[in-house]
Amino acid sequence: MTFTEKYAAEIEGIMARFPHKKSAVLPLMHLAQHYYGYMSREAMEEVAAILDLDPTHILSLAGFYTLYYEEPVGTYVLEICNDLACALRGADEFVEMACDKLGVGVDGTTEDGLFTIKTVMCLAACDRAPMLQCNLKFEENLDEEKFEQLIARLRDEAANGRTPPTVVEKVAAYAKSTS
Amino acid sequence: MNDDLVKLTIDGIEVDVPKGTLVVDAAKKIHVDIPVFCYHPKLEPVGMCRMCLVEIGLPMRDRGTGELLLDDDGSPKLNFGRGLQTGCTVRVSEGMVVRTTTEPVKEVREDVISFLLSSHPLDCPICDKGGECPLQNLTMEYGPGVSQMDYSLKMHNEKQVPLGDLIYLDRERCIQCARCIRFQEEIVDDPVIQFHNRGRALEIVTMSEPGFDSYWSGNTTDICPVGALTSSDFRFGARPWELTPVPSLSPHSPAGANIVMSTRREAKSGGRSVIKRIVPRQNEWVNEIWISDRDRFVHHFADAPDRLQKPLIRKNGELTEVSWDEALDLVAEKLQAHSTAVAGLSGDRLSNEDLYAFQHLFRRGLGSNNLDLANRRLAGGDVTAQVGLASGSNLQDLGAGDAILVVASDLHEEEPIWWLRVKQASERGATLVVLNLRPTRLDKYADYVFRYAPGEAIVTVRQLVNAAKVETDTAVDQLTAAADTLIKANNLVAFYGYEGLTYTETDTLAKLLANLLLLKNEDKAHAGQINSGLIPVWPHNNSQGAWDMGIHPALAAGYQPVEASGMDAATIYEAVHNGGLKALYVMGADPVGDGRMPNRGQLDFLVVQELFLTETAKLADVVLPAQSWAEREGTFTSGERRVQRYYQAISPLGECRPDWQIAAQIGERLDMGKPAFAASLLFRDLAKVVPQYKGMDYRSLAKVAEQWPLVGGDDVYYGGTSYKNEAGLGQQWAAAAETDEVGLFEVADGDTAVTTNLPLVRIAALYTPGTLINHTPMLADRLAAPTLHLYADDAQIIGLQDGGETVIQVNGRSLSVQVCVNGHAPAGLALLSGVPWFPGMAEFEIL
Repeated sequence: MTFTEKYAAEIEGIMARFPHKKSAVLPLMHLAQHYYGYMSREAMEEVAAILDLDPTHILSLAGFYTLYYEEPVGTYVLEICNDLACALRGADEFVEMACDKLGVGVDGTTEDGLFTIKTVMCLAACDRAPMLQCNLKFEENLDEEKFEQLIARLRDEAANGRTPPTVVEKVAAYAKSTS
Repeated sequence: MNDDLVKLTIDGIEVDVPKGTLVVDAAKKIHVDIPVFCYHPKLEPVGMCRMCLVEIGLPMRDRGTGELLLDDDGSPKLNFGRGLQTGCTVRVSEGMVVRTTTEPVKEVREDVISFLLSSHPLDCPICDKGGECPLQNLTMEYGPGVSQMDYSLKMHNEKQVPLGDLIYLDRERCIQCARCIRFQEEIVDDPVIQFHNRGRALEIVTMSEPGFDSYWSGNTTDICPVGALTSSDFRFGARPWELTPVPSLSPHSPAGANIVMSTRREAKSGGRSVIKRIVPRQNEWVNEIWISDRDRFVHHFADAPDRLQKPLIRKNGELTEVSWDEALDLVAEKLQAHSTAVAGLSGDRLSNEDLYAFQHLFRRGLGSNNLDLANRRLAGGDVTAQVGLASGSNLQDLGAGDAILVVASDLHEEEPIWWLRVKQASERGATLVVLNLRPTRLDKYADYVFRYAPGEAIVTVRQLVNAAKVETDTAVDQLTAAADTLIKANNLVAFYGYEGLTYTETDTLAKLLANLLLLKNEDKAHAGQINSGLIPVWPHNNSQGAWDMGIHPALAAGYQPVEASGMDAATIYEAVHNGGLKALYVMGADPVGDGRMPNRGQLDFLVVQELFLTETAKLADVVLPAQSWAEREGTFTSGERRVQRYYQAISPLGECRPDWQIAAQIGERLDMGKPAFAASLLFRDLAKVVPQYKGMDYRSLAKVAEQWPLVGGDDVYYGGTSYKNEAGLGQQWAAAAETDEVGLFEVADGDTAVTTNLPLVRIAALYTPGTLINHTPMLADRLAAPTLHLYADDAQIIGLQDGGETVIQVNGRSLSVQVCVNGHAPAGLALLSGVPWFPGMAEFEIL
């Protein structure tokens, strides 16, 4: 099943919110990314087909915004801010520590497919750095100990089948809130 | 004072320009160069590169009274604001003062150049753009001279990224001006390249299949202000300063695209001059500064190793090389011996001089009117002579209040330049009405789209024309509304083609449209008015010339009726088969390869004049090697009846001769006198015979006028590497309706009955395989493979699936085709692309 088929109702709900269908591109990309795990070629082509755009347009947006992933990512994407203000509060060292702990490099995914580490620019929480965003949720004032606790908690969640809140639920809620 | 003009001062020079003009363009008009990278006069301004920053002062006014504030000396006080402004985004206003040479301006130019060079490789010595590079030129002029950057800190990116097989991207040379992206979006609406990522990681990407899938991709290499985009044709092929630019015409474009062939003599070609690349030549009346990739890349046939180089005569069954005298003597002798049963067939790619000499040989030398195009597709040359697009017209002038009608043609596949100009006219507000059998790319821009059923083209057009005759206030349906718009339009241009139509049907179509143009609205007909008239979408670059020169069994040169009509092509093929003809002379055509003539039938003598040993040439008794268009000069006439010159670019191959000369040398042996000494003299002769060409000669065709935007020369940074037109804009000949009263055409009834429930129609594809295009290696993967397009229900009924392959039998030939069920074909109609043309609708069987 393609994502277009699976989320037909959600897609329709999202598109109904915009006067020009091209404007629905970002939420549809989130939905497609949720379904395929990342912005795969199929994902881009499907979104393009729905909105009557060239797939290159979708690729361009995926490249511009950091929350669209062009490569497969883990269940949890840890996006650590290392912009200037965070760097002054030790973000670079924190990134290095996190990579060591998980045994991956920046943009790498752990072998069990659980974690991907990325660095990002400014999440607007400079005063609480080092900080990261895990599947859109902020984790702030971090250090080595808190990072280990976070990882342990996420591993535990995953092992017990308590999957993290997904984009699709948010997008679906958004689609239904039309009126 | 003209209200539409604005007076401003640029570097102390007063200038009047139209309201809305951008400061950079106003400056350009008085030859003050404000340097730009991202700005291009044909694109919307974006102000991205900051190179055009200048000081702009506006006269100050009293806030209370609105009066100008004056200095002590009486001149207006000026407010220059707090900083510099981008000359490419600011529009002129009354009293504006622009300074482009002050210290702050110089400083900022130096800074912008330094910034761009911080991530730019200094690989000019191996860069194709070096020598005609805006960044290189502007660095020399405005750059700091010394880099403040440590060379080791330079960004390094991939240098050979193919965006498909035509265009290569060098990522580290790109300065992110987005000219290419904007061209693809704004001008040609093929947004298949975009930016990806941000900041220093920014790069151009494409996801189309094949990569950079656009018929216009080559133009991005012209407007790229650095060597980031280069074509696979020219890449590492030569340095720009070694090239000789030769003005020419596309040998494929019925709209008459103006080109420049850049040639170079080189050791690896044995000292011969060869074509290194083709770039556009500005003609704002024809192709502006753009050409399609067909016009840019399909030139390799001229230098192909399998070109014929010597005359051949069949001896003991084998084609054997002989001298010209031996070959010409034999041809003259045989044609004369069979002069009561002789015929001539010509292609419509050849020059006016060739075509004129050919028909002159037949009519004067052999007394025969058995003369036709080998593959005549579209009628109405005679109708166009009456009501064609009036001389002095420019499709660029069409806009709000005007209307364009397109019937039975897929302009995007048949002539992309006309497609572009019609699209742009529609975007400027012209009403566009499209009538076709099936959806085409023009529909997107159309105000009215009508789809007729197979066999109902003429009925539908007749309804449209009849509706236009009736005065109406309230339109009863879409067709009536469209007809009303057409007849009331200020200007009306009608394009017509031949998709799915027989020759007779195209004749009816041309006459119906002519009658539409001749209809009077408030005592005024469109026919004969500037920017109105008929344009046939001819299959080849000089089909119009073939009509003008009299390659026709009933019409001699200049549309003069002959006393007794000769055989037309269909009759000729039949007579070849049944022995009614004994000798046939084929010039620049391949009726055997095109499936029109299965074999040489009962011919006693067949002579073929060609570039290549075609299927027809293989059967010939004598083969005469002709020069390609690149090896000699001549003229072509476009569908807008613009007669234009092209010039000799490379030296003749082997012993090849111009077609006109060969025909004239045969004529010389038939006591027709000495051949003309040069093409220009032959043209002078034909201009005396063809009334429409009266007064034209090679000098008048070479006249130029100043065009906007200014391109070429030292201004490569402004307009790109399109060449300034210094060799001629050509001359449009006047249609009869411009000077005389033209009566309505009598139109016979009748559409062809559809005899099958799933008729097959051949549709055009720009890259349809053929003798010339097959010699272009870089287009090999883009050639249109024979494809059968079906509607989903029809495909199901006959048991074919999307993506499958099958063999069909059509017009007595079997063809392997791919099956495509993607919505292009309407219900009840099968379409076939990528194959030679056949007339009307065919029946087909699946084998």
